[in-house]
Amino acid sequence: MRVCFLVNDLQLSGGIGVVVEHARQLHQHHGFDVTLVLVREQDMPNWRYEQLTGLHVVPLAEAQEQRYDVAVATWWETVFSLFSIPAQRRAIFVQSLEDRFYRPDEPDRLGAALILDLPVAFITEARWIQRTLAELRPDAPCHLVRNGIDKSVFTPLERLDVRLDPPLRVLIEGNPGVWFKHVPEAIAATALMTEPRDVTVVSGERSELADAPVDRVVGPLTHREMADLYAGTDVLLKLSSVEGMFGPPLEAFHRGATCVVTPVTGHEEYVVHDHNGLICDWDDLRGTARLLDLLARDRRYLHYLRLNALETARGWPSWEQAGQFMAMSLERIAREPAPDPAPAAARLLSDLREGIEAQRLALHDYRELAGKAQRLEKIMGLPPLRQARRLRRSRRLLRALSPLRPLYRRARGRLLE
Amino acid sequence: MPDWQERITHETEPAIRAEHDARYRVAAPLIASAEVWCDLGCGTGIAAAAALRPLGGFSRRAVLVDLDEGLARGAAAELGVQDAVVFAADLSTDDGVARVSEHLADGAVVTCFEVVEHLATFVPLVERLVERADTVTTILSVPNDAFWAIQNPHHLAMWGEGAFAELESQLPATRVILHQVQLQGSAILPVGDDLTLSPEAGVHARGAVPTHFLAAFGPRAAELEPLATVAQVDLDEQRRWVRQREADVAILETLLTEREEWRRYIHELEGRLGLPPSGAAARDQLPAGTDT
Repeated sequence: MRVCFLVNDLQLSGGIGVVVEHARQLHQHHGFDVTLVLVREQDMPNWRYEQLTGLHVVPLAEAQEQRYDVAVATWWETVFSLFSIPAQRRAIFVQSLEDRFYRPDEPDRLGAALILDLPVAFITEARWIQRTLAELRPDAPCHLVRNGIDKSVFTPLERLDVRLDPPLRVLIEGNPGVWFKHVPEAIAATALMTEPRDVTVVSGERSELADAPVDRVVGPLTHREMADLYAGTDVLLKLSSVEGMFGPPLEAFHRGATCVVTPVTGHEEYVVHDHNGLICDWDDLRGTARLLDLLARDRRYLHYLRLNALETARGWPSWEQAGQFMAMSLERIAREPAPDPAPAAARLLSDLREGIEAQRLALHDYRELAGKAQRLEKIMGLPPLRQARRLRRSRRLLRALSPLRPLYRRARGRLLE
Repeated sequence: MPDWQERITHETEPAIRAEHDARYRVAAPLIASAEVWCDLGCGTGIAAAAALRPLGGFSRRAVLVDLDEGLARGAAAELGVQDAVVFAADLSTDDGVARVSEHLADGAVVTCFEVVEHLATFVPLVERLVERADTVTTILSVPNDAFWAIQNPHHLAMWGEGAFAELESQLPATRVILHQVQLQGSAILPVGDDLTLSPEAGVHARGAVPTHFLAAFGPRAAELEPLATVAQVDLDEQRRWVRQREADVAILETLLTEREEWRRYIHELEGRLGLPPSGAAARDQLPAGTDT
């Protein structure tokens, strides 16, 4: 069986790590011939994955000369190259609903959503995505393949130590520059704690965290270093608003930490409030701080949550098991007929029309605002106002005219109406 | 040592025996009317024989497969089948699965209870059974390991709600999914009587934690009917087992404490003599400057 996975690059990230691990499992345990296709021109050296041994890594042009049983896109941008690769079947490995990574006015949002309308098979790693895809695309096959955990790295602790002494060791993980990870908010929540705390932030992007009110900032770390860090952590704090499978708390569970998390997509797969972790409300930094204070104060409760978190981890499948499901999914995709393109095309065009309408509305708003701005520019350019604006910069004059300020505001309001 | 009860014998704990019996009883009407019945991981055949007995046993061709061929022969005897094909096969290999497939005539019923979690890879078996789903009916089960999260050394894969959902996504669309849930009960009867009672059980599947997940697929999958089965518990034996375990744990903990005290004492003596601590010393117990 010849399979290729399309990736933008092999830079260190959770999503790429998952693809590489699946590729390795397929190659080592199921006799697949696996190629990682780099669809982008590479200007940075690739992350050196130990797992790349035995896998082919080729640029897009080279893959276009080959023939595969199944070609799998792994990120919405890689889908643009999916149909240029000669393959008997095509699939998309959906690790998240990627349109949510973009704000409503970003054009990428539409692109990331439209790829789900294509006549391909889907493989996804979370049940919430599987359910969503079943609603969006009831005509398309969708295989569930959850991520495994590398039990040799995130080895479940044999015995859980009881931690009675303060401070509460809190770990915040994520890129502070990615808006939906809400790392600054997590840091702010720990700053609102009243109990003794020891806060570590781990991130590959440390420049934005120079003045963060935390005890230390570390990273980027290897998986093994992360495993060690989790083992010394009491609670992982994640306030993300967008997640796919939501792996970090699960990794933390393996090393004996509990978590405080938002009810983000993916958490429902294994985080149970008051059993193995705590779920805080959206945008409630004070409430989150109170939950952390509770864990800092009530060491019996902390141990109870950590104990259950470790149990949850023990029951989570390994990568070897996940690899079996991936192998079965790909075999099945290769064996079964390709999805009917007609319903896919209908859905694609319907979503495209909606996108065009949304764009039209945005353009209408833009034109209205542009008209207002033009009028304003014209008014601000009139000689008396130009003079007034210049005078406004004089502090002495401003002080002298301060009794007239309400009158000025009213006049300006009328002019701008 | 925990008793994992991976093989069902006449001495198996009643609760575990009842679980196995229930699975075979649910499949029994399909088995009894099939021309070919294939039991994968047949073991001793005790639970299957008990389930089929009320239906007059099984009189057609039985294909009994286990890793241990001797055990499968014993199962044929226990079931009293005349036309038995018995062999050992590793169901995690293509060869083992191909050998089974040779015996699966159209209309066959396959039972595959508590097998998948023991396989190094379940891909060949599940794929073949799914491929044959147009003419062969399969009923398989996996345990809810994730709920208890006890590391069973015999289980090579961890199963739970999520993992079963993954398996489900590989099965044909016309599958039937069943949850097996645990029951507890009680009976009142005249002293000295031996009775066969049919207790009623109010069972709520919604929100109940399953002990096992069952999936059936193939032409006759929809014929499966829900059922409940109970088994009498030997309280005397159970109490003995629980108390024995408690006693063992208490002894072990005391021995460990004593060992720790001895270890510290020995390290203290070694420290006084200026020797490095023997055995696995904690880092903080090593003399200053010791190179680790």
